Amino acid sequence: MQSRVPDTPVLEVSGLSVDYLLDRGSVRAVDDVSFTVSRGEFLGIVGESGCGKSTLLFAVAQLLAPPAHLAAGTVMFKGTNLVGLTDRQLSAIRWQAMSVVMQSAMNALNPVKTIGAQFKDAMQAHGKPSKEEITARSAEVLRMVGIDPVHLRSYPHQLSGGMRQRSMIAMAMLFTPDLVIMDEPTSALDVVAQRSLMVQIKELQQTFGFAVIFVTHDMSLISHFSDRLMVMYAGQVDELGATKMIFDRPRHPYTQGLLEAFPSIRGPRVPLKGIPGNPPDLSSVPAGCRFHPRCPHALDRCAQVPPDLSPVDGDLVRCLRRQDGSLS
Amino acid sequence: MTDLLRVEHLTRHFKIGGALSQRTLHAVDDVSFGINAREIVALAGESGSGKSTIARMLARIYRPTSGEIYFEGKSLSRIRSRRDQLRYSGLVPMVFQDPFGSINPVFRVQHGMLRSLKLHRPELSAAQRLEEAARVFDVVGLNPDMLQRFPYELSGGQRQRVGFAQALAMRPKLILADEPVSMLDVSIRIGLLNLMAKLRDEEGVSILYITHDIASARYVADRLIVMYAGQIAETGPIEDVLAHPRHPYTQLLLSAVPDPRAPLSVAAETDRGEPPKVIDPAPGCRFRWRCPLAIDTCAQVTPELAELRPAHDAACHVAQTSAEEVKAFS
Repeated sequence: MQSRVPDTPVLEVSGLSVDYLLDRGSVRAVDDVSFTVSRGEFLGIVGESGCGKSTLLFAVAQLLAPPAHLAAGTVMFKGTNLVGLTDRQLSAIRWQAMSVVMQSAMNALNPVKTIGAQFKDAMQAHGKPSKEEITARSAEVLRMVGIDPVHLRSYPHQLSGGMRQRSMIAMAMLFTPDLVIMDEPTSALDVVAQRSLMVQIKELQQTFGFAVIFVTHDMSLISHFSDRLMVMYAGQVDELGATKMIFDRPRHPYTQGLLEAFPSIRGPRVPLKGIPGNPPDLSSVPAGCRFHPRCPHALDRCAQVPPDLSPVDGDLVRCLRRQDGSLS
Repeated sequence: MTDLLRVEHLTRHFKIGGALSQRTLHAVDDVSFGINAREIVALAGESGSGKSTIARMLARIYRPTSGEIYFEGKSLSRIRSRRDQLRYSGLVPMVFQDPFGSINPVFRVQHGMLRSLKLHRPELSAAQRLEEAARVFDVVGLNPDMLQRFPYELSGGQRQRVGFAQALAMRPKLILADEPVSMLDVSIRIGLLNLMAKLRDEEGVSILYITHDIASARYVADRLIVMYAGQIAETGPIEDVLAHPRHPYTQLLLSAVPDPRAPLSVAAETDRGEPPKVIDPAPGCRFRWRCPLAIDTCAQVTPELAELRPAHDAACHVAQTSAEEVKAFS
């Protein structure tokens, strides 16, 4: 299910850093992250909790609120740098050209308004559509995600979790966006509903050609759906490359560890180890490579020299031993 | 083999709606199964399938509407005194899903440990209680120094280990673990699953592992029970169920499990159905609306579990009929 990847980038993020300003000083949650998303591409971002993946999404969508603060970097979206735009300027882009689907539909939908009223709000906030246009488009997007338009009159509690999540996605499609940002949209769903939602997102994407940034902690979930994969650890990108390449030959020891942490329902039952230790507290990240305390291949220099993100066999990898070839 | 715990025709209904409402939600309907000593049984199913309700009945948080639970051959309905109740909850403790909400945040970690030891094992002196707390911490892979820490100083994985340590301190026979790893990071989960296997192998504890994650169930469990809409759809030795799923729901569930090592399967893509809310159900199979194989009988007769392979049962008319045909021909 790989889709075509033309090379015009719709989004170009470079050198993005986000700090949380706290009483005890500032904590860097996202550290110098750069990536591009091409038109119609599906980019998966994976990492554990606290690795900065959600903060990164908020920074890209310009939704950061204090104490988070964008310390450096640019977010070029269709040729415009979103950093520094006023709310009014952003409003013209948000929802129309770029929309966001949040993690929990239970909390993202207003419980005291019908689905139709919420669709109407979103459309009126970002344009001046007529009543007929609103009704027609609302019904159309609900149909696109496989929900009967009678549910425009339903309240969120009358829908199942899967339907609520699908109506969030429908809402993101009200205008025809070029980029849809999704933060763990399936994490509250059962496996069957989760799989059917993933297939649906992919179908919509192939029909309408928008790009998707999909954040998840579950690597196996997007293995069949994303074109490229970005693995984050402790606020940094550890590995970035084609999904298939990464699943076939993970280069960073952290990515390897993540992949080996999944039990499978097929093949022989093998004992797994997971990754020892815990992800670091971002207020005191280890010196050198941030993964070295948990890394089975770490050498002395890994504790001293912070590695760059640089190309190894076509992927970008942040690992000293991969880069000098001492780890094969 | 005598069962450690045996559940017979367990049923739990909830009244829903207003005071005058006559409607009942059938959360668990006529469920029977057993758990042996030194065995991990996985109870899997979608949310709303009744798996947590079963755990709560086993923990005596809910009383069954009907049916019996036997622990070591004795019916739980005969527990009357507080002493018997305490003894049972020590032998069958529960580990909860949320490691952030299940430890009192204002006390040191040892507080809960020592309190439950004092309550459940009054024969121990204060010094012995500390010793025992340190011992169980060691078993679950925590440094005994952690006893002096506050919960906020521990990571999610460490807190969940504290949950298992507290259960273990009571010298349990069966731990009820309700989604114990679902809130943990992927890289931490395996460590907890390995711990569960270790408790079975080295401490001889049985575990009822409630999960919606079939892959993790396969990793630790010996047997699998698949629930659908309050009933058991299929049950058997886990490898046999996964290799030869007989119930169409189990087949759907397995095809939806994300697995990078497998080709993309098609079955789950055509399914946009939802598990039904079981309110005042009429007879018939509860999966029939989503089932690609449904026949007329499915709408009239509720299928019962029947053994289709050795120790492997499924509640499906179609699977049972085809199994009989195979028998008739051979």
